[in-house]
Amino acid sequence: MRFMVMIKADAATEAGVMPDEKFLAEMLSYNEQLVKAGVMLAGEGLHPSSKGARVKFSAGKRAVIDGPFAEAKELIAGYWLWQCKSLEEAVEWVKRCPPPPQGEAEIEIRQVFESEDFGAEFTPELREKEEKLRAQATQTDASRR
Amino acid sequence: MRFMMLMIPKGFESAPAKLDLDAARVTEMMKYNQALRDAGVLLALDGLHPPASGARVSFAGGRPKVTDGPFPEAKEVLGGYWMIRVNSQEEAIEWAKKCPGSENEVIEIRRVQEMEDFTPEVRQAAAGLNDLQHEARTRT
Repeated sequence: MRFMVMIKADAATEAGVMPDEKFLAEMLSYNEQLVKAGVMLAGEGLHPSSKGARVKFSAGKRAVIDGPFAEAKELIAGYWLWQCKSLEEAVEWVKRCPPPPQGEAEIEIRQVFESEDFGAEFTPELREKEEKLRAQATQTDASRR
Repeated sequence: MRFMMLMIPKGFESAPAKLDLDAARVTEMMKYNQALRDAGVLLALDGLHPPASGARVSFAGGRPKVTDGPFPEAKEVLGGYWMIRVNSQEEAIEWAKKCPGSENEVIEIRRVQEMEDFTPEVRQAAAGLNDLQHEARTRT
């Protein structure tokens, strides 16, 4: 199963403060372990929400709201995509993550939907379309690197 | 530049662990996904299970503490994401506006950090990260 592992934002990440060299080195070595174990599929950091925007859908309209967004605890600062055998395995990996020197880091783990998770509503036709789309998206990513 | 479009569906924070999807809505969303693909901007996309089947790990005091979902204090949670490559934030916002979003849904647009965004010191400390990301990606 795949899991999205999200690093929650805090005051430091939202202020765009870069972590120190020691923490970066620890994080890099942690990422190396994840890749070596065949767990890590992707991992990215995001710019602070002050540089972002939100589009809100209501009454058929789209309202654009510029960042920053107030609830830093609900925002994410970065994420990984992992391949694990169970939620428990993902939790065990998260426990080994080097805690950042400042703030109270929180990490949320959520299982990613696979086509097998969908019921009969997800017809073979839709399923085929979805799988094709995913393969093409991955190709686009690879070809632009 | 790469952007994450983070879908925050209203009420997803308290959705049951087992979710019933509406076929009409999935079909509509697939059309949008297809449009992103046809425009050559789509890099990745995923939907997430509700937080009821997830977990959170906090590190207060440097020690990991695990809490199982659902998370009653959460006001909003992520339901899925698209990763796109476009030329500007404005273009990313235009794409988000085209999404067949439901009442009270929100799409948050956040730029992805690239190596060029960092200072030379940080870049040096993080050298090797791009290789790791690439190695990880070839597994998908």
